[in-house]
Amino acid sequence: MKLERAAIDAISIGARPLLAVEELTVGYPVDGGGMIRPVDGLSLAVRRGEIVGLVGDAGSGKSTAALAMLGLARRPGRILSGRVHFAGRDLLEMSADELRNIRGREIGIIVQNPRSALNPMLRIGRQIGLAYRAHNRATDEETRQRALEMLRMVGINDPERRVEAYAHELSGGMAQRALIAIALSSRPKLLIADEPTSGLDVTIQAQFLDEMWQTVQATGSAVLLVTQELGIVANYCDRVLVLHDGRVVEDALVEQFFEAPQHAYSQAVLRLHRERRLTFGATFPPRNGTPMVEVRGLIKTFPVRNSAKVVQAVDRVTLTIRPGETLGLVGESGSGKTTVGRCLLRLLQPDGGAISFEGADILAFGDADMRRQRAKLQIVLQDPFDSLNPRWTIRKILTEPLNLHTRQSRADKARRAAELMQLVGLDPALLERRPRGLGAGALQRVNIARALACNPSFIVLDEPTSVLSPQARAGLIELLGRLQKELGISYLFISHDLTSVQYVCHRVAVMYLGQIVEEGSVEEIFRRPRHPYSQALLSAHLFPDPSHRRVDNPVAPALQGEIPSPIDLPVGCYLASRCPYANAACRAAPQRLEPCADGRVVRCHRVVAGEIPVPERIEE
Amino acid sequence: MATVDVDTETASAARPRRRVDALFVLGLAIVVVVAILAVIGPWIGAYDPTLTTPDVSAPPPSLTELPGLMSTWLAGGPAPHFLGTDTSGFDIFSRLMAAPRTDLVIALSANGLSLVFGLLLGLLAGYFRNFVTELLMRVSDVLQSFPVFISAMVLVALAGRSTANIVIALAFVYTPIYIRLTRAEVLNQKNRGFIEAARALGNRELTIALRHVLPNSLAPALIQSSVTIGFAILLTAGLSFVGAGVRPPTPEWGLMIASGANEIILGEWWSSVFPGIAISITVFGFAVLGDALERRNEA
Amino acid sequence: MLVRYIAKRLGLGILQLIGLVIGVFFIIRLLPADPVARLVGMNASPQAYAQAAHQLGLDRPLLTQLAIYLGFEPSVQPGLLQGSLGASWVTDSLVMSEIAQYLPVTITLVTLSFLLVLIVAVPIGMLGALNPGGRTDKGVFIYSLFAGSQPEFWWGLLFVYIFFFRLGIAPAPLGSLSPMTDPPAPITGFLLIDSLLEGQWSVFVEALDHLMLPVVTLAFVLSGPIIKMVRQNMLRALRSDFVLYADCVGLPRDIIARYALRAAMAPSMTLIGILYGFMLGGAVLVENVFSLGGIGQYAVRAVLAFDYPVIQGVVLVITAISLLVYLALDLFHAAIDPRIIV
Repeated sequence: MKLERAAIDAISIGARPLLAVEELTVGYPVDGGGMIRPVDGLSLAVRRGEIVGLVGDAGSGKSTAALAMLGLARRPGRILSGRVHFAGRDLLEMSADELRNIRGREIGIIVQNPRSALNPMLRIGRQIGLAYRAHNRATDEETRQRALEMLRMVGINDPERRVEAYAHELSGGMAQRALIAIALSSRPKLLIADEPTSGLDVTIQAQFLDEMWQTVQATGSAVLLVTQELGIVANYCDRVLVLHDGRVVEDALVEQFFEAPQHAYSQAVLRLHRERRLTFGATFPPRNGTPMVEVRGLIKTFPVRNSAKVVQAVDRVTLTIRPGETLGLVGESGSGKTTVGRCLLRLLQPDGGAISFEGADILAFGDADMRRQRAKLQIVLQDPFDSLNPRWTIRKILTEPLNLHTRQSRADKARRAAELMQLVGLDPALLERRPRGLGAGALQRVNIARALACNPSFIVLDEPTSVLSPQARAGLIELLGRLQKELGISYLFISHDLTSVQYVCHRVAVMYLGQIVEEGSVEEIFRRPRHPYSQALLSAHLFPDPSHRRVDNPVAPALQGEIPSPIDLPVGCYLASRCPYANAACRAAPQRLEPCADGRVVRCHRVVAGEIPVPERIEE
Repeated sequence: MATVDVDTETASAARPRRRVDALFVLGLAIVVVVAILAVIGPWIGAYDPTLTTPDVSAPPPSLTELPGLMSTWLAGGPAPHFLGTDTSGFDIFSRLMAAPRTDLVIALSANGLSLVFGLLLGLLAGYFRNFVTELLMRVSDVLQSFPVFISAMVLVALAGRSTANIVIALAFVYTPIYIRLTRAEVLNQKNRGFIEAARALGNRELTIALRHVLPNSLAPALIQSSVTIGFAILLTAGLSFVGAGVRPPTPEWGLMIASGANEIILGEWWSSVFPGIAISITVFGFAVLGDALERRNEA
Repeated sequence: MLVRYIAKRLGLGILQLIGLVIGVFFIIRLLPADPVARLVGMNASPQAYAQAAHQLGLDRPLLTQLAIYLGFEPSVQPGLLQGSLGASWVTDSLVMSEIAQYLPVTITLVTLSFLLVLIVAVPIGMLGALNPGGRTDKGVFIYSLFAGSQPEFWWGLLFVYIFFFRLGIAPAPLGSLSPMTDPPAPITGFLLIDSLLEGQWSVFVEALDHLMLPVVTLAFVLSGPIIKMVRQNMLRALRSDFVLYADCVGLPRDIIARYALRAAMAPSMTLIGILYGFMLGGAVLVENVFSLGGIGQYAVRAVLAFDYPVIQGVVLVITAISLLVYLALDLFHAAIDPRIIV
């Protein structure tokens, strides 16, 4: 009730909102008659120049709502009812031609998967041109100039070259910039941005959002930013709307939202943030004793097709994990962190180095011995939907490891399966189900249960929270902590989500282009990062704290330029081409990991010499 | 013990019930009828399908003549030739009813054989990429580039025109298709998360291939089967039509059409038209069924 | 880049053809058929049999026969390396020249059928895709399934019965031309082209007249899979993300439709190539019904007579043409779709 009034208030006050949605409902027919309604009575308002965040789970209907505000619905869905007032007129009452005029010219949209939204057969310059010409009269030359101008505006430095590119030749970040160029080419009053940064690296994400912010300031557009990430909302939005069950359940200014969420659902979403805000590191300290996992000088290269060259994915990585400890491994795409995880389990064969587990050199094991060892060394993969055989029941999935490694009777296996389900907080009745139809959070728990089946001592977790909603993430982190305390398992937690790392890990290692550049306790690294790359990574990370917004305290980008190709790595420090502190000595010789006074190790001679300033990251 | 959190709730509402698919029903009905005929067909007709009768080139009786003929039959006289007879004196109706057995047995056997080989070889070629499997694919490519009709003709004519040889020739032609289909699907499946998870649990590679990959790669080949069976019937009929297929006097639709081909120019249409209608509907049924299965699988 | 791709494809093609030739060579000789007996009859004396076997070269060891065929013993007989496909065991004429006589008929038939189908089927398929689930679409779809399941030889006979016997608008199915007409001098071997080159307009029209029913028959059967594919690809293109985004941007409908069609045609190329290759060998049934004298009929005669050199030659030539057609279509595909790197 409160929100309808807010929307109506805005209309009646006279400061007429730019966009006012009333009771929008979109339905999808299901076989057997009937409809499901991902958007059910949605009402919201956006004022000129505002940046409004729309938060909700995956599958909550956010994208459906975004499209519906343009009068569109993906087949076989249909807009069933509602009104979408834009600048005074109801879009849903307009003719198809009138709507086509409004789309692109007055309202622009960028979507989640930029490369598939671009026409694969046209160069992007031409696509920007087509979008511009659809709403403006212009000569060919004027159109071309406009395309170049838009590309420059979105932060592309050499537009003359990029304008000729095809969609499949662009990276994710580039493609998203191209979409913004298209969306804003006619200077629309409203930009709808639907999960614009999903799939982008941390630093690219920050860069992109900064650029988007600047661009909309320049064009004066309002933005409806649809996202799951609380960090994005906190740092860029003025107001927050929460979408649940197809409608908006909360509408608050951003500070208020984070301080005192009203609706039960919002509270659930913010749970992790509110409970653990100021803590660093996992709650339960590790045990001392002989290291459980020791990796020395791990090397892994991949051959390049049609070439003698190789990609240096992992470059002499050394780590140690103690019993009951969680080591975080962070870095962006290409850092090699995923490869390290796979090599530890010999899912990939290392090309050099030594890996020992509980004192034994596992690289020396034969196939049969390694298979037996796998009971103790487990992995949980990133995509919960894909890591379970869709045709098997959960029971069959959980008993597979028992069949492989034990000789238990049927009754014992059944008992163990039920036990495992309860251990991960799932109802044992789900054992008879198949993975289809269960949510991501539940499936990820099944993954963990499977990994626990034969009492492992060590589990590699490869981006376990990336596809989860904020509250599923919170639940999983909590589960991992509890299991570690009860069972004493060690974890290698590979993730690009620094918030999860902050809450789960004891220690963290930062990787860049196959090397560890800094390693230490989570508190040390997160509070006072020393290595320039760690500093860049942490400054790009969007902490969900609206009191210290990135847009209000702009930080000069710490790193310039592009990541060097992993095939042709430079002789000296790999970061030298982008680092603001690089000098001749940095470029001349490869850098080694050296210990610092406070116990961490850093791969940078200038840091060890104390020549790099260390920002004290402001407490949240 | 622990409560189920918000995040573990199952996503979305109950599975939607399937709307009745009219095309699926149509295809299934046709296939079932043909299958029934394959079993009991030879006994339906009043005449032995492999024996000639003295009535040669008799046209089918008109509707007015029919009651008279029926009463003659019921009184103990000869049965009417419902669809006429061909130039040799075979009763068309009896042969028409008996023909599905011939065609369906050949088509099902050929398809079954190529399916089994195609699935296994496709699985091996897709999962274990090594020199041997690459060689297998090259051989399969070469086999697939043989012109289909001519190769089938050559194999049957030169090996002897028996049912078994026709089955083998067709299997030769269709196996490369199944190998290719299965291998493509295996290549898709083998990079999925649960395959890597199976490896991480300690499964042997062969076990993974058979227990995880194969069951998830069956669908394209099985769906294609319906269509392939239909085409096998067409191919058998075509081979028989040019004289490189089934031997007379075995009842087979292509042979029947051939026996009436010269007469049709002269106006005697019944020998060729009825078997043609039969093939037309039968293969259509298989095609419709195959398409309906494909749509169900995509849903 | 392009030249390298073409060279690589041609090279692979030649390897494939060699494999094919060797494969066919052995397969037909390993099968139980006896071409000698077929030639001299069942009641021939042992001497006559042996003489015939020697004449056909079948008394030599298998590998020697292969070597001769491939052209490694040019003194005995010219082989592949010398550009010869040998001589027919039945007519004694060179296989190459016989193929040159018959092949143009088949190519004309198949090509005209394809042209007809593409002109008619593509718009029909598109029509279905533009209104999915509607009445037109359902009709188009069921038609495509139906047409693709039909025995073309039977429909040929039906068309003869209806249009020749009943209605009298089509000529008798007795060949490419009426038996009374003199064919033009064979310059290219293609009846239609030769008659035009020699200004024999009436012969040209008559040839077209005789091709009418066979082309319609083949086109009918081909229309099934092609309409189905065009419709499916068009649907996929219309449902794709970039079309949805183009709607979001407010692009005019005709521009969106144009690019959707382009995206739909690209994957269709492969199937068209496969169907063309299939038809080259598969047109035999229609050729048979209409007595057109094409390569399919030639092949049937050879198979039934166990005429090995002809069988080998026909398989080789048809496969070679199919491979060239695939290459041409792949190049066309790469030209319209920048994602394919050539």
